[in-house]
Amino acid sequence: MTRDDLVRWRYRLIPNTVVGEILSKPWIDNAVPVLMLAVLLAVFGTLVPNLLTLGNLGNLSQTVGEYLLMGLGLTIVVMAGGIDLSVGSVFALANLVMIALVGWAGLPMGVAIPIALLSGALVGLVNGILVGYLRLRAFLTTLVTLIVVRALVDSLLLSYSQEIGAAPIFSAFWDYLAFGTVYGMSVSFLTAVALAVAVHVVLTRLRPGWHIIAVGGSRRAAHNSGIDVRRTVCLTYVASGTLAALAGVFYAARLMSLGAETGVGLEITILTAVVLGGTSLGGGRGSVVKTVLGVAIVVVINNSLLRFNLPSGSSPLALGIILLLAVAIDVRWVKNKRKVLDQTYVAPTYFELPPLPDARRGAATPYAVNDHLATAEPIGLGLLDGPEDVILDADDNLYTGSRDGNILRLMAPDYTRVEPYVHIGGQPLGLAFDRGGNLVTCVAGMGLYMVRPNREVVKLSDETNRTLFSIIDDSRMRLADDLDIAPDGRVFFSEATIRYALHDWMIDALEGRGNGRIICYDPHDGSSRTVLPRLQFPNGICMVPDGQSFLYAETWGCRVSRYYFDGPKKGRTEVVIADLPGYPDNINRASDGTFWLAMIGMRTPAFDLSQRMPGFRRRMAMQVARDQWVFPNLNTGGVIKFDLTGQVLQSLWDGDGGSHPQVTSMREHKGWLYLGGIFNNRIGRIRLPDADQSWTSQSAYWGAPK
Amino acid sequence: MIAWLRTRVDSFLGQGDAAVTVPPMDGALSPNTRLDRADLIAQIPTPNDIAQGDATYVSSGNTVYRLGPAGTTEPFRHFAEPVTSLAAQGDRLAVGQPNHILLLQGVTETTLPVPCPTALAFMGDTLIATQGSSHNTPAQWKHDLMQRGSSGAVWQIAPGSPPKPLATGLAWPNGIAITEGGIVIAESWRHRLIRLGQPNPILADLPGYPARLSPAQNGWWLSIFAPRGQLVEFVLRERRYCTRMMAEIEPDNWLAPALSPPKSFLEPMMGGALRTHGFAKPWAPSNSYGLLVRLDARFRPIRSYHSRADGTRHGITAALDMGNRVLVASHGGNAILSVEGDLP
Repeated sequence: MTRDDLVRWRYRLIPNTVVGEILSKPWIDNAVPVLMLAVLLAVFGTLVPNLLTLGNLGNLSQTVGEYLLMGLGLTIVVMAGGIDLSVGSVFALANLVMIALVGWAGLPMGVAIPIALLSGALVGLVNGILVGYLRLRAFLTTLVTLIVVRALVDSLLLSYSQEIGAAPIFSAFWDYLAFGTVYGMSVSFLTAVALAVAVHVVLTRLRPGWHIIAVGGSRRAAHNSGIDVRRTVCLTYVASGTLAALAGVFYAARLMSLGAETGVGLEITILTAVVLGGTSLGGGRGSVVKTVLGVAIVVVINNSLLRFNLPSGSSPLALGIILLLAVAIDVRWVKNKRKVLDQTYVAPTYFELPPLPDARRGAATPYAVNDHLATAEPIGLGLLDGPEDVILDADDNLYTGSRDGNILRLMAPDYTRVEPYVHIGGQPLGLAFDRGGNLVTCVAGMGLYMVRPNREVVKLSDETNRTLFSIIDDSRMRLADDLDIAPDGRVFFSEATIRYALHDWMIDALEGRGNGRIICYDPHDGSSRTVLPRLQFPNGICMVPDGQSFLYAETWGCRVSRYYFDGPKKGRTEVVIADLPGYPDNINRASDGTFWLAMIGMRTPAFDLSQRMPGFRRRMAMQVARDQWVFPNLNTGGVIKFDLTGQVLQSLWDGDGGSHPQVTSMREHKGWLYLGGIFNNRIGRIRLPDADQSWTSQSAYWGAPK
Repeated sequence: MIAWLRTRVDSFLGQGDAAVTVPPMDGALSPNTRLDRADLIAQIPTPNDIAQGDATYVSSGNTVYRLGPAGTTEPFRHFAEPVTSLAAQGDRLAVGQPNHILLLQGVTETTLPVPCPTALAFMGDTLIATQGSSHNTPAQWKHDLMQRGSSGAVWQIAPGSPPKPLATGLAWPNGIAITEGGIVIAESWRHRLIRLGQPNPILADLPGYPARLSPAQNGWWLSIFAPRGQLVEFVLRERRYCTRMMAEIEPDNWLAPALSPPKSFLEPMMGGALRTHGFAKPWAPSNSYGLLVRLDARFRPIRSYHSRADGTRHGITAALDMGNRVLVASHGGNAILSVEGDLP
């Protein structure tokens, strides 16, 4: 067994795509807090007896509930890019208001609770007006509110604590708030959980939540897209104040205490919980789940430190240090995650190509490079941007896609007039006319679309069956590439790769893995399903006239294969050409019953060698700037003609790459061969003097036009 | 132990010797198109070195040409082996051959046993020669680079005495400047200029591989024959890839610096070099480049002449100051060019 065999097996057995794909998931931001919680539970669970027993958890659930309520409020504020330090004071205020109203004034709970909440909302509104509308600094403003409200509470306590505290409270609902349990869980905890779900839904699914995230992500952009930034900011503080007051209500019921220490320093605890969960202080990034995790961590730490009987002050000290760490990790994570992802996403594997056929000028093979295409007559020079595929209709008008998301029509006979035919949005790649004269197209990033003759755009398919255990969601189509239509109307189309979008498609070459697939869309029931998975950048597709099979080209695999979708050989794949000297793209029919194959570039020995050394390519992707990575040589391209036996009959090249360095498609039409190129600014055409001068692809597929 | 650890840490973090970063071309080295716009003096295939004695000589392949004032080239002498370097003084001409040096004066011809002479210079009666490598010929410079060769030397050859080494262990010394303060050598693979006998380089971190040095008015001309690039720096650190590449692939198709723009589709392409809209980008990463640098008397760059990735006058191997004009040998451009000398 050679070293190459070892490398091949290592990459076959251990998929190295996993790390990059997991890192590209949004939920990966939760990994740090989850890990931290697990470690803490393991450590303190062993050190502190009874920490994880049911009774203790029941006790904790009250604290957790109150913290979580305040944490939710603070999350909303922080997500919008602000900060609210006044939550601790609001908490104390609500506590005082509640006890005063119920105990001293004797108001019923149904009146007292709304008034207590209103007091919190009022403080929040003051914050909101100052920060949101008058645009004061959030930190200083809420710091001032913290002090003012605290002073208010203290002075009220000083004057009235005797009278208020002396009044007894007899209310079943009051006791239920304090001590009632459902399945061992306190009322405050359950309320908090219910509100957490509600806030999560609002933040992720509803318009106000999106506004909050947008404002936090970028005030300027949010303003420009018509969001009322000031109102949104103001309302986040109102929400925060109300939720803090609700926590105060539960606290009042639980302890009935008028101590001057109520809620002192609580803002730091809650802020620690929120930041520890991974909600970014910069705004725009965070979630309720993160806050729940953060609260759990803080409560576990607090509770455990209490049980250690440490000297007073050590618990806030520990929390302070943890807050510092959390902020540091948050900053580093946000800064470096993208970098790590960039470095780890490219996951090359072992791939060995067959020996390189000689295509040098003057070589004895049919591939010998020449300059036939250098003299191609340019069409739409400078007016086109990325004509990947070209097609002509019955009136000889020329259609092609463009990078700005249009299908363009160039009018016969001289093709000097270019008009946008339809705007689709993504870059149209493969094009084909169906029996009814509809233009079916593969649109990068969108899927399979159809344009009716009246220019109506119809989506045919943008989803297929998801592969079991796939990490990235491969049910969506990232890079639908080329298509052809079977006689019964089924559309077979290729998705070049599921790991890269159009702007990164060349990077897929570095991986050497079968990242692409061929999908069948059935118009009879509108369904799509993957028929050939794990192909190496499947690209061109062309129906064989037998109506039972099609040819497809795998670009990075440098081969052309034939797949039988019907008939006696149904489900079988045969390789037609196994060792091309370059990278094939689209396939189309020629008038003499053979096939044209576009070549987007040429194999180079240096890149072929690197395909057999995946570690080399991985390190290159990590260490070298992207524009200096070695790629297939895409500066020389051409067209070759082959038949179903795999015999290559002719080749036409642009040896110096002056006008058609990459040929991605070609279409024969009435004695001309039209050439497209995904990086080109023109379509080229050359005369085919020996071809049938009346042959068109449409009539070959669907019969003579009526 | 510490050195071993440092190597490991460096290679993990991509720093120190493992860094693939390349100094940018800015300041005095900011890109321009002066070489592309330079006057064409003579079109000869792969010129290698220029020397001036009683006449002006240009080496190309196995031939040394005499360059007339109007740009005429007449073959001066044809050799059995390729000419690798030239130096002239009065009627004396030193001609480097792959494995020795020929010293021509009138009809006498002396053979000096210095292998791989990459550059020659007269210092009074004495000939100074750089030996690029102990086991590669000058034509095998790519091999020496990929082997990370450092078997070069500098020889002093006084008339009538055997060659005496002035320095050894150099990484492809490729240019000589005789100064009042000593001999300055261009060391290609370490991209720097060193003064013999001094520990610190006098010019380091060049963005390309330096070749010949030649005197200018109150300064020097430094030819840079190929650019450095991140990819090549990376390949140099990938020893297994290097070894296999040298064993399996023709040198023209290596991932390595080159003297000329790509001539064949078999040469590797870096992603940024892709032609879009029928246009080759001048700023594209490239394995070949044209760069001539004017240094002041203290060997600090003050001006430069470029042919960028979309140009053709690449692989500058030698220059010769003629007063108001400077002759430049572009190996990859198959041309002798003339640029304006010291601008007023």
